[in-house]
Amino acid sequence: MDRLLLLGMNHATAPLAVRERLAVAEARQAHAISQFQQRFPESEIVLLSTCNRIEIYTVAKGQAETEEIAKFLPDFHGLAAGDFDSHWYRKTEKEVAQHLFTVTASLDSIVLGETQIIGQVRDAYELARTSGSAGPLLHPLFQKALAVGRQVMTQTALGAGRLSIASTAVDYAKSIFDRFGDKTVLCIGAGKMARLVISHFHNLRPGRLLICNRDQTKAEALAAEFNGKAVSFMELTSHLAHADIVITSTGATQPIITRTMFESVLKLRRYRPIFIVDIAVPRDVENSVGQLEHVYLYNIDDLQQVVSATQSQRSGEIESARALVRAAVEEFAAWHRNRQMGPAIEQLYARYHGLAQEELARITNRYPDMPTEQRQQLEEMVRRIVNKLLHDPIQTLKNADAQHAPISQYLHAMNKLFHLDEGDGKSA
Amino acid sequence: MIGMTSVGPLILVLLACVAFAIALGVSLLSLRADATNNSNGRAIIPHRLLGKTCVYWGTLLILGALIWQCVAQGRWTPLEDNFQCLLCLGLLLAGFVLYIQYKRPIGGLDWFLLPIVIVLLISAGLFGRFVPRAYSNSAWDWTHRTSSYLGAVAFAVASAAGAMYLIANRRLRAKVALPNVHVASLERLERMTLEAVTLGFALLTIGLITGLVKALHGQSTLGKYWITSPKVILSAAVWIVYALVLHSPINPRFRGRWVAMLSILGFVLMLGTLIAVQFMPGGNR
Repeated sequence: MDRLLLLGMNHATAPLAVRERLAVAEARQAHAISQFQQRFPESEIVLLSTCNRIEIYTVAKGQAETEEIAKFLPDFHGLAAGDFDSHWYRKTEKEVAQHLFTVTASLDSIVLGETQIIGQVRDAYELARTSGSAGPLLHPLFQKALAVGRQVMTQTALGAGRLSIASTAVDYAKSIFDRFGDKTVLCIGAGKMARLVISHFHNLRPGRLLICNRDQTKAEALAAEFNGKAVSFMELTSHLAHADIVITSTGATQPIITRTMFESVLKLRRYRPIFIVDIAVPRDVENSVGQLEHVYLYNIDDLQQVVSATQSQRSGEIESARALVRAAVEEFAAWHRNRQMGPAIEQLYARYHGLAQEELARITNRYPDMPTEQRQQLEEMVRRIVNKLLHDPIQTLKNADAQHAPISQYLHAMNKLFHLDEGDGKSA
Repeated sequence: MIGMTSVGPLILVLLACVAFAIALGVSLLSLRADATNNSNGRAIIPHRLLGKTCVYWGTLLILGALIWQCVAQGRWTPLEDNFQCLLCLGLLLAGFVLYIQYKRPIGGLDWFLLPIVIVLLISAGLFGRFVPRAYSNSAWDWTHRTSSYLGAVAFAVASAAGAMYLIANRRLRAKVALPNVHVASLERLERMTLEAVTLGFALLTIGLITGLVKALHGQSTLGKYWITSPKVILSAAVWIVYALVLHSPINPRFRGRWVAMLSILGFVLMLGTLIAVQFMPGGNR
């Protein structure tokens, strides 16, 4: 039987150094999905790879396949699967819905209430939809998840007054620098995250805003939006020497700013303090650069940890959001149960109504002169008896607690007890 | 007329100490206070107003003690004796705290400056009362004292800013959450340190030159071997340390932490000089 399965790692189970090795860049996600489908034919998959998490939502056939799925991403990156075993979490069935809805409601984010995660889940689902990798189980799951996310954001104040990564980075910049009119902000990369952070730094009215990207067209577009200047990626060292605040958010798989490179930059900049916000996963700046004097390096985990430390006062809103998630999970679980049990229940009805009709036909054949009205009354009585007899077991099945026993067990028991696998027409 | 300090100014000094101690306590408690956010997202620190009021009243009380002392002695020029000198130092520092908090507040500045003010007031109360010391009143002497004490105030400010820089820098490097209290940026603290050191260095240099002139004209109270007295040696050490601090724009490797640490070291040496002035044989008389 098909089972909903989630295999993932996030900021709680794996440090950034581990996550960045398995992260799948946006440009490669379609390729990863295609590879997954080649390896697991007829499978469904949604791949969610953000700076905080890497998660595979899929439908597994059995335990053996689950273990194979765990090897997929390490194999995709050419890494040893064993290195990541302790970081994965595995969830099945209702737990999958519970987790995804919690993620989309921004309750699993380090920055509670951040809205970016809804966009990231939507993008992941859209990619799966266009790739044709989302099927009859993942479609409703993700649609429900997105609805829950929107509901939490509109019906609770979880997102109100939240601290974002970008606003926290700005606060840190204000702790380092006093004035910004004479400062240069350099942004390396021109993606969505870079744009988000720049929009916050732009409000500080820095003296110069430089956008540096391999794709000059994108850099120019972003520079035009924020009244900045697009500069050449080839002259990165020179730009670093002039910059006071650096925001890096590229899709590079290796650090683009190394310690050796930065030691020479520090001399060029006469040891002026520099604030580096590295929000890229994998990281763009070598961690050891942050050990240099006058360098204040913050990566995505550093900023998120700081933000999470300030969230305790919103516990009331968190509880409201959790209540919405719980309700949605129950709703989805009921739908999923019905979907799985529906054919069996229909089979059960068909079988017993068939048996009843057989017995009814036997009686009515004995009394061919029976008036039509009496015949109809007899048919109605038989139908009602069958319905009443089946009512209790079917209701019990519909309301079966999946936590108590897997749905597959109920279905198996039903098949055995009512001989559904023997097909219609055979006597019980 | 120099004599024992009367009880009235001492009571005022005691009350000022209490006011500053309350202000300091309130300010330190605000660190732990559960700051709530108003609609603008700005932290409201409980009892902040109480702290400000205490500093305000403490400053007024020192001023009152100084005026009382002047009235009691019948002389209106401050820095007549070490009681007045210590009160003047406290007054200037407390005034600086008030000025900064009014002009552009720096959270935490009072944690460093108010203890110095309290120590100065206690010293004035203890030593000013029992060991009143009269100073001579030549122009050289008055310039020497005024510039030296004003320099000490500037160095106290520099050391406070330096200490704040070190703490803020350490927190930023440790990547811990920013405090509820708005602490000045590293750039502002470094600038404040350098400005205070520049001013203090100029005043100290004037103080040293006038002291040298006094010594060369035989007006020094340090005697024939004034050049080897602890006061002179420590003053020279202070001058060298602050000269190094001022060297930082030329050699940028010295900027930041080094400037902060040297400013604190200079102030510690400065305190040594003040102690030498008060207690050592051949101090100011």
